[in-house]
Amino acid sequence: MSEIPLQSQVITSKLVASLAARTALETPGVLRLEPTVQGFLARLGPAALQRLYNPASQDGTYRDDGVRVSINDNVALVHLDIATDIAYTALNVAEIVQQRVRENIGHTGLAVGPVDVTILAIEPPPRARVR
Amino acid sequence: MEHYGHGYEPEPGLDEGSIVARAQDGDLRAFEYLVNSYQDRLFRLAYRMLNDRGDAEDVVQDALTASWRGLAMLQDVQAFGGWVYRLATNRCLDVLRKRSTRTEHITDPQDILSISMDGAGSDQLADPAYEAERTARDDSLTRVVNTLPPEQRACWLLREMHGRSYAEIGVTLKISPAAVRGRLARARIQIAEGMSEWR
Amino acid sequence: MALDDEPRLGCGRSIDRIWTTVDQPPNAHEQTCGQCQAARSRLRSLREATQSLRESDVHNTDLKPRSGVKSSIMDVARAEIRRSRRILLASNGNGTTEISEQALSAVIRLAAAEVHGIHARRCRIEIASASSDSSAGDRPSGYPGLVGSHLVIGLRVAVAPDINIPRTVESLRQRIITAVPAGVGISAGTVNLTVEDLYDV
Repeated sequence: MSEIPLQSQVITSKLVASLAARTALETPGVLRLEPTVQGFLARLGPAALQRLYNPASQDGTYRDDGVRVSINDNVALVHLDIATDIAYTALNVAEIVQQRVRENIGHTGLAVGPVDVTILAIEPPPRARVR
Repeated sequence: MEHYGHGYEPEPGLDEGSIVARAQDGDLRAFEYLVNSYQDRLFRLAYRMLNDRGDAEDVVQDALTASWRGLAMLQDVQAFGGWVYRLATNRCLDVLRKRSTRTEHITDPQDILSISMDGAGSDQLADPAYEAERTARDDSLTRVVNTLPPEQRACWLLREMHGRSYAEIGVTLKISPAAVRGRLARARIQIAEGMSEWR
Repeated sequence: MALDDEPRLGCGRSIDRIWTTVDQPPNAHEQTCGQCQAARSRLRSLREATQSLRESDVHNTDLKPRSGVKSSIMDVARAEIRRSRRILLASNGNGTTEISEQALSAVIRLAAAEVHGIHARRCRIEIASASSDSSAGDRPSGYPGLVGSHLVIGLRVAVAPDINIPRTVESLRQRIITAVPAGVGISAGTVNLTVEDLYDV
């Protein structure tokens, strides 16, 4: 299973994923995590369906819309797919997300690997789109 | 899925050609906008060609799916409308060809009747006598149109129900615009005569 | 005879001509010709019936495909969409940052939307490496990312018929050159604009 025993507590890839997702969403300029086409395809097949109900797979990787986390040798590897607000500079937003996610994961006691970010969409904020 | 659920709102007043270009670049919301804008029209055409809801829905789905697949090849963004009409018309003619090689397709008159009775012109004056007369006339027109040979029926529907140009209909049916004009004139006189017989 | 594809009544009158003039008073021939009079009256009722059917079909809420049809079309489109290319913006100890070509072209389109008289159409983004492009040395620097290479943006547009095209295209170029660093954080690189069409206002 994906549960990694650590100092008598258990840090799962799912926990790291929700931490990373929440940190990203709290960063100014992040509109949302972006479900990818791959994520959509994954929801179609029966095998994928199983993964949906049991997201933590055998290799310790957790996937949800917009966030992938794997833990190898107590090092968390994080990938985030985000949509950013056009009023912010996407590259700066991504760098702040990377720093904050690394800090917050560090607080769990896990070693932090790279936090890779893909900017999948840049949009006006939702309010600005209402005519 | 939820991301594409809400209506696509391009910049106000964006022309269809520009929306087509965005869909060509892989913008799903732009493509969804095109689906919204054409699916009802194509369904009406297919339903009047085939008189079968299921077959008409298949035609709409096939034609618009094919339009997505061929979108990158479309040279002129303005030609999108004519092209999806062509895809739909040719699929209808294929369905009718297949039907005729099997067995006579039996159109249930009750089916047509119920379609034209339900909610016909709900925003019209609610004068029951006028409504009844109007529905009876719609019904007799569709009956006579259904007696036309498939290509002539397509010609009439594309022009009279959908306002497509002679040139575009000609390309769809692989005949000259002059031949479209001739075929239409013949269709009209035939329908007019057919309708006077129904009275 | 073979050349004349135009259908006519027995009296020789073109049916198409009768159709197009059915709302006008009958001409001298039509006043006396029984065939023409019968055809005119039938075609006039047909015209009304046609218009009535067109309107009731358009407003008939039953003459619409089920919502499942659209979902199926969109499912196929979503499943078959080519994976948008990713462009590496930065890589350091914290991790890599990539941007999808679509996000980048969205910034360009939003910039174009602010220019009056411009409708953005297809947008292509290429990456030119510095070694293969002699002009790369001239580009403004000072933005991070895309080390050793720069963007080549190709945007096609339709313009309103009543605008000054050179001036509008130049202000579009300036908008893009400002918007890409502001929204993305990298230089816009080379901006190639093509006016391909006029749109109707």
